[in-house]
Amino acid sequence: MSLVWKLLRQHISAPQLLGFFMANMLGLTIVLVAVQMYNDIVPAFRGDDGVLQGTYLIVSKHISAASPLTDNSSQGFTDEEIADLSRQSFVARVGAFTPSRYRVAASIGMGSQRVGTDMFFEAVPDGFVDADLSAWRFDPSRGEIPIILPRSYLAIYNFGFAESQALPKLSEGVVSMVQMDIRLRGRGLDETLRGRVVGFSTRLNTILVPESFISWSNDRYATEPASPPTRLILELSNPTDAALPAYVSEHHLDLENDRLEASRATTMLRIVAGVVAGVGLLISALALYILMLSIYLLVEKNTLKLQNLLLLGYSATRVSLPYQLLAVGMNLAVMCLAVVLTLVVRSRYLDLLWQAFPRLQEGAVMPTIAAGLALTIGVAVVNAIAIRRKIDALNAA
Amino acid sequence: MDTIILDNVLPRVFAGIAEPRPSEVWSRRVELHRGHTYLIEAASGTGKSSLCSFIVGLRRDYEGRILFDSTDISTFKPSHWAALRRTSISILPQELRLFPELTAWENVCIKNQLTGCQSPQRIAEWFERLGIADRRDTLVARMSWGQQQRVALVRALCQPFDVLLADEPISHLDDDNASIMAGLLTEEARRQGATLVITSIGKHMSLPYDQILHL
Repeated sequence: MSLVWKLLRQHISAPQLLGFFMANMLGLTIVLVAVQMYNDIVPAFRGDDGVLQGTYLIVSKHISAASPLTDNSSQGFTDEEIADLSRQSFVARVGAFTPSRYRVAASIGMGSQRVGTDMFFEAVPDGFVDADLSAWRFDPSRGEIPIILPRSYLAIYNFGFAESQALPKLSEGVVSMVQMDIRLRGRGLDETLRGRVVGFSTRLNTILVPESFISWSNDRYATEPASPPTRLILELSNPTDAALPAYVSEHHLDLENDRLEASRATTMLRIVAGVVAGVGLLISALALYILMLSIYLLVEKNTLKLQNLLLLGYSATRVSLPYQLLAVGMNLAVMCLAVVLTLVVRSRYLDLLWQAFPRLQEGAVMPTIAAGLALTIGVAVVNAIAIRRKIDALNAA
Repeated sequence: MDTIILDNVLPRVFAGIAEPRPSEVWSRRVELHRGHTYLIEAASGTGKSSLCSFIVGLRRDYEGRILFDSTDISTFKPSHWAALRRTSISILPQELRLFPELTAWENVCIKNQLTGCQSPQRIAEWFERLGIADRRDTLVARMSWGQQQRVALVRALCQPFDVLLADEPISHLDDDNASIMAGLLTEEARRQGATLVITSIGKHMSLPYDQILHL
């Protein structure tokens, strides 16, 4: 054992250091658990495998009482607004809904028994369609229109209308086999094409046709000029982004399906994790204060020894070193134990999380260890500087 | 370092006294040259320990200037002082400043480990010569003041030095031991061509002093 250490370890108070050790371990563990929980739980809100699936959002402008009843253009999105949306960090791509601008009527029936209704079509770019796209093509020479219906329509029929009227329930396959006559009228033309349901969509709550058909039919039958799109479909790159609800609110947008839960839940999680980590940091800061007081007291008690060592020719660096190593060593030991404790706590809560979200992928551990290491290094540097200053003050006395 | 110059040095506690005692050191210019031996005689309370503390940079509460060669020591940084105390200035303080929780041998080694100046055989020889070889592994706290003075002398010799300040080094020694100590001091100072500055309040080493200054 070094003679210098033999001298300077005099008056070290084990209970004081133990107090620092326990308090700092508690504080740092709370901080690291908060960071790790945040990293583990956030993936649950993000991506297709997440709890809150649906990285698509359908937006329109808010219709207020003051909105003009007749002027559709104010409800439409301008090119600048669409470009602005595309630039947002949470948006991967933007697609516009293109409506039919002519009269559409559909009818089905056998023989002379036919039922029909007026209706409309809308199209979105093919990449946004969540159905089998193998039959999603329109060929004017064949004259058959592929149609995708909202899955909710079939549910309404099967579990609402069919049950109450004692009618048979229809499967998606049966509906796909039904041929419809689609009557298109406009610009002096009155033509009937065949329509066939080729799929059902959960994402898009409209009667959907291929974009190629809408272009072709609008060119052929449209009686009104094209107006800016009133609804947009957004593919979100990060549904947990806190900027998303802020943007929606700031630009007075309406959401067809309120899919902002992910973002709101993440914000809440961020706040809770922040508060918990803040409490942990406060405990760690108090523990650091205890350590600094303890070391200051130690230096005070050993002032004469330290001054004598300096008089012998020991440098302040050399004399500070044992106390600096003590502080740094304790901080590193605290960090290692805090990381182990965090991993133990994590193994417990991951079991609970997996029960709730079986497909959840656990977050990385490295950011937590990096956070712990960064905190420890920061604290160790503060300790080392404070000790050196205290010794320098003795030297200058 | 060849010369220590005391240029009108006066402890701050003495400043402002209406009728100061006459002194050959305070408020005068005194030059201490390399290779010379000086005795500073003083009555109690006249500031001889303060003078030693000023010269080794332990205290700065004085007026005037102290120059090592031509450099004012008030400009020295702590790291420079540390280097000087390892290689150029050695002190045997009146209060000895030994570590009571270490043995006599450890008290010497803690200095010698730093400077690597003396061999263990040489130190053991000095312990033998000064009559403290049998107390080598005794805690300093359990040694008499006279024995501690001899340990402190050995420690002071465990470094190269241009000047050695010995503040009342034989106050608790009998004449025989004082003589052995004086011999050892002179031997090492001559070997290194160093300056010796001895202070005394009465009983002093019999050495061939080049100058005796009354504080």
